[in-house]
Amino acid sequence: MKLEASNLTKAYHQHEVVNIEHVAFGAKGLEGLIGPNGAGKSTLMGLLTRRIAPTSGDIKLDTGSGVKTLNPLKSHEVARIGLIKTNQRIQGFDSLTIRDSLRLAMTPPKDEGFMSVFASHRDPEDVEERVSQLIEAFPFTDRNGYARSGGEKKLLDILRCLIAEPKLLLMDEPTAGLPDDITRTVMDMVREKVADGKMRVVVVEHDLPLIWEYCDYVHFLSEGSILFEGEPEEVKSNRVVAEKYMGV
Amino acid sequence: MDYLIFSFSLMLVYIGLAQLLHVQFGLLGIPNFGVVGFWGLGLYGTGVLYVSYSMPLIVAILLASLITAAVAYILSHLVLQRSGQAILAATLAFAAIVATLIITEKDITGGVQGLGTIGFPFADVASRNVIYFFLLMVVVVLLIWISAKLRDSRMGRSLIAIRDNEELAASLGKDTAGTKRGVFVLTCALMGLLGGLTAPLHQFLVPYLLAPSLTFAVWIALVLGGKGHNLGAMVGVFATFGLFDILIETYAPVPAEQAILLPNFKLFCYGVLLVMIIMFRPAGMLGVDGPRTRARPATTPAGDASVKEG
Ligand SMILES: Nc1ncnc2c1ncn2[C@@H]1O[C@H](COP(=O)(O)OP(=O)(O)OP(=O)(O)O)[C@@H](O)[C@H]1O
Ligand SMILES: [Mg+2]
Repeated sequence: MKLEASNLTKAYHQHEVVNIEHVAFGAKGLEGLIGPNGAGKSTLMGLLTRRIAPTSGDIKLDTGSGVKTLNPLKSHEVARIGLIKTNQRIQGFDSLTIRDSLRLAMTPPKDEGFMSVFASHRDPEDVEERVSQLIEAFPFTDRNGYARSGGEKKLLDILRCLIAEPKLLLMDEPTAGLPDDITRTVMDMVREKVADGKMRVVVVEHDLPLIWEYCDYVHFLSEGSILFEGEPEEVKSNRVVAEKYMGV
Repeated sequence: MDYLIFSFSLMLVYIGLAQLLHVQFGLLGIPNFGVVGFWGLGLYGTGVLYVSYSMPLIVAILLASLITAAVAYILSHLVLQRSGQAILAATLAFAAIVATLIITEKDITGGVQGLGTIGFPFADVASRNVIYFFLLMVVVVLLIWISAKLRDSRMGRSLIAIRDNEELAASLGKDTAGTKRGVFVLTCALMGLLGGLTAPLHQFLVPYLLAPSLTFAVWIALVLGGKGHNLGAMVGVFATFGLFDILIETYAPVPAEQAILLPNFKLFCYGVLLVMIIMFRPAGMLGVDGPRTRARPATTPAGDASVKEG
């Protein structure tokens, strides 16, 4: 799974927010994407998942069974190939319970056709089992009800993406709004899946200790461009990164 | 007696329309304000095919529903991916266009002179209107049953997800645009079918039947009964059409001089009912309060204790 973008630009009102000559994600297991506020990290994630239309540039995905150009695809088609992202801002389905939300994310679209209306029961055993397993691992206030606080909604957003079993998962600031212990549980879960070869992950974070701890490779984005890439140790000691981001 | 059967038959049609609107708006969030347009296409389509082309009634109704589906399909491509307000305005305009065309294209539709007559099937049976009533009932019960099954199915869950947050649903791989289009076309076609089934009730079709008041009546019924509850549509129709058009108009001992005031009094009551529902039970008579309005505990375990801001 390798996601590549070349000459990718995005401008709002003639103001260029992203301008990347070339970047590739998914080569290592767990990668980090860091950069100051407003660097264009979220915009880049949106561009890669086709939620935002680029001003120019190509996005290609190598799934192992051939290279696909993502440009002509719609957002749901990108998700079906196995590329999805969690959201920085809280997103959710207000009328779905936590369980339903997870069941929804796990159900492939082909099982949601008109014939499902006449099915004798709604979700197969394995779906119920996976959903319960995942819910038990976290301290939701009401496991059979709705996500209550912002924190629970944020967590649910991440769990939805995990249960959907993507091949490449982009996580936009998973720790923002979550208590530390829950962040750890989530990241450990993610690391385990990556180690099992089930998926590749890119994490956008301002929590640098977390990046250094979990990531195998880090990209540094500033003012819309990738300025440095390397192993955590290299990035940590890089002068450009220090100047532009860590305020040294 | 015949008039009562006519009224009850018409009420079934209203219940069917409100049920379809429950699917479109209650489940999927599409504010279709052109109900009368789709219903009218089926009604007049059936009338024209039956009267001018001498088709058997059932063939005429099915063909008219197909025509309605085709029109809904074109409309769905034009407006469904736009904002709710745009859909509302566009469907309202669509219904107005249908009503106008019915008047102006008098070579086909008979214009203001009307189009008729469309007889009941089984013409030689004495109580054919009663049989027809039960036929309508079967159709409407089927609609209610399917929409109840739909609500609790995997498909229904995806519709609710699309209504709540379309972009998020798409990012999880749901073909939101395609699903909306499919459901919209199917439900509009069924509104056309109900229109076709209405033709023998009226027997003689006049453009006045296509006034927007039908759309509003169905909407009021849905809001009163509860747009999110699968029986809300039915209860809403009982509380409006059933109570006023049937009970009061038929049985209330109103002196003849005052009888002409009844329609206005009816609208007044609809209005009062609507205001009261919106004030005291915003989810409708049957509606349960959604998670949005439920009181929340002030603090929660996975709460915002150690919130970090991006
Ligand atoms: N829809 C939009 N219209 C106009 N400007 C936008 C829009 N979206 C983003 N921007 C601008 O693009 C720039 C990059 O935003 P983006 O959200 O990608 O940054 P980020 O790196 O994710 O920042 P943060 O770390 O704060 O989340 C910002 O200056 C922002 O104001
Ligand atoms: Mg961001």
